[in-house]
Amino acid sequence: MRKFFRIYQSFTKAGVENAMAYRTSFLCFALGESLYCFVMYFIWKAIFLSSGDSSFLGFSMTDMTVYVFLSNLVGFLISTDSTDNLAEEIHDGSIIMRMIKPVNIDYSILAFELGNKVMVITCIFLPVMVGVEIYRYVTLGYVAFQLGNFLLFVVSVIFSYLLSFYLNLIFGYLAFFLLNIWGFSILKSSIINFFSGALIPLAFFPGAVRLVFEQLPFASLVYVPTMIYMGKYTGEELAFALGKQIFWLLAFVGISRFIWSLAQKRLAVQGG
Amino acid sequence: MRFFRLYKTFVIQHIKKLMEYRVDFLTGAMSFFINQVTNIVFIGIIFSQIPKLQGYLFYEIIFIYGFSLIPKGLDHLFTDNLWKVAWFVVRKGDFDRYLTRPISPLMHVIMETIQFDALGEFIMGVILVVTASVKLSLSYTPVSLCLMMIAMVFGALIFTAIKIIGAAIAFWIKQSGSILQIFYCMSDFARYPATIYSSGVRNIITYVIPFAFTAYYPCSYILRGNGPLFCIGGVVAAAVVLLAVSLVVWSQGLSAYESAGS
Repeated sequence: MRKFFRIYQSFTKAGVENAMAYRTSFLCFALGESLYCFVMYFIWKAIFLSSGDSSFLGFSMTDMTVYVFLSNLVGFLISTDSTDNLAEEIHDGSIIMRMIKPVNIDYSILAFELGNKVMVITCIFLPVMVGVEIYRYVTLGYVAFQLGNFLLFVVSVIFSYLLSFYLNLIFGYLAFFLLNIWGFSILKSSIINFFSGALIPLAFFPGAVRLVFEQLPFASLVYVPTMIYMGKYTGEELAFALGKQIFWLLAFVGISRFIWSLAQKRLAVQGG
Repeated sequence: MRFFRLYKTFVIQHIKKLMEYRVDFLTGAMSFFINQVTNIVFIGIIFSQIPKLQGYLFYEIIFIYGFSLIPKGLDHLFTDNLWKVAWFVVRKGDFDRYLTRPISPLMHVIMETIQFDALGEFIMGVILVVTASVKLSLSYTPVSLCLMMIAMVFGALIFTAIKIIGAAIAFWIKQSGSILQIFYCMSDFARYPATIYSSGVRNIITYVIPFAFTAYYPCSYILRGNGPLFCIGGVVAAAVVLLAVSLVVWSQGLSAYESAGS
């Protein structure tokens, strides 16, 4: 176990250094991407003003604001570059450098990305979360933050991240079989965007559609952790949501291992 | 004249590339389509609960949304290469190449890429605007049609000017992609009526980074009959001013440019 940490620690360290080197660029990028939250905030404000009702399909204005900003944060926490990085390594052949080392390929990429997540958590997640909680306190008049929900959220986000990681890894491995995966990579992001509840809470979809969407692995990515944070899930529903996350995670790990074993046989690195 | 002859050569190269990477083009176009469907479903869900959004009907919102895609798509089609300048062409020192050619570097950068994926944006925008016009039974006169076209073209130039400024910043700081990203993402505010925003935001998108002129104001002329002098004239004025600023910034940047790399 100690050996395990010693080996992968160096990958994490490299990840932190990489994140620090590109921090300004990354933070500006994140700011740009987050502007859309403000557009959504104003739209929801207009919706609630127009409807004159304090609830929209069971969500209050405060709920919606929290949902918009939090789902965006979850998006940052679970984002991973594994598809593009892996595809690039496969194309230029540098993947061989991973294969000749006595390390597991998934863990070495994961450990590297962990370094990046340290920055996302300290520079983006914590400040925005504090902002959201201040907003909730001001609009509701009491502290809505619940430690229990927060801890469950942390667990759920970790599952989400791993799920997102393995899903992206599978797409990355496709580079072994396809010439160019750029198009598929973009397509994957838009599918995830729609089905994960990043823009529209899945609860807003009509009965049957909603039921189907909630079972898909994409719902486990953004929707589930966000709903847990907001305390919308309790008891059985909560256990079921977490169970689904674990189920999909195991399934994706299995698929990625399977593809990797097939892909290794096809690998042909040119030049040297 | 020479410009068009050159451009034709570039376009032919692009069509060859497009044929080579058909699958990429198709998946790219499909993902764009899914993104648009997501947004339209969202608008649909809103209107399943309320009849009007701050006085706007469903198809009026669709009209503005569709309209916003047209200038954005036009600019995206022709000037996508500016993103590369902002992200890595300058940083890697590859910009030297443009300086050695006998045409203006800016022209060369713009000519070099035609992003056919952007046709998805453009066509989707046209479909939405036409559908909404029919459903709202809008009546166009030759004058209003002309003004609408003018607004689309100059709206696209607003995007182009902002991208030129964003890309030119790279001449000083080597990599300006993320700064350009912030500017560009502000165009998301243009998709919906500017009246839903607080006055601060509204003033920014009207007078500072005038994306509101790329969709909301021209649409308010067509949908609400608001004064064309401000609604259409404003687009032209904003585009001309920004374009002039962007050319100055670009040429300043060029003289500040020091090649990177070894």
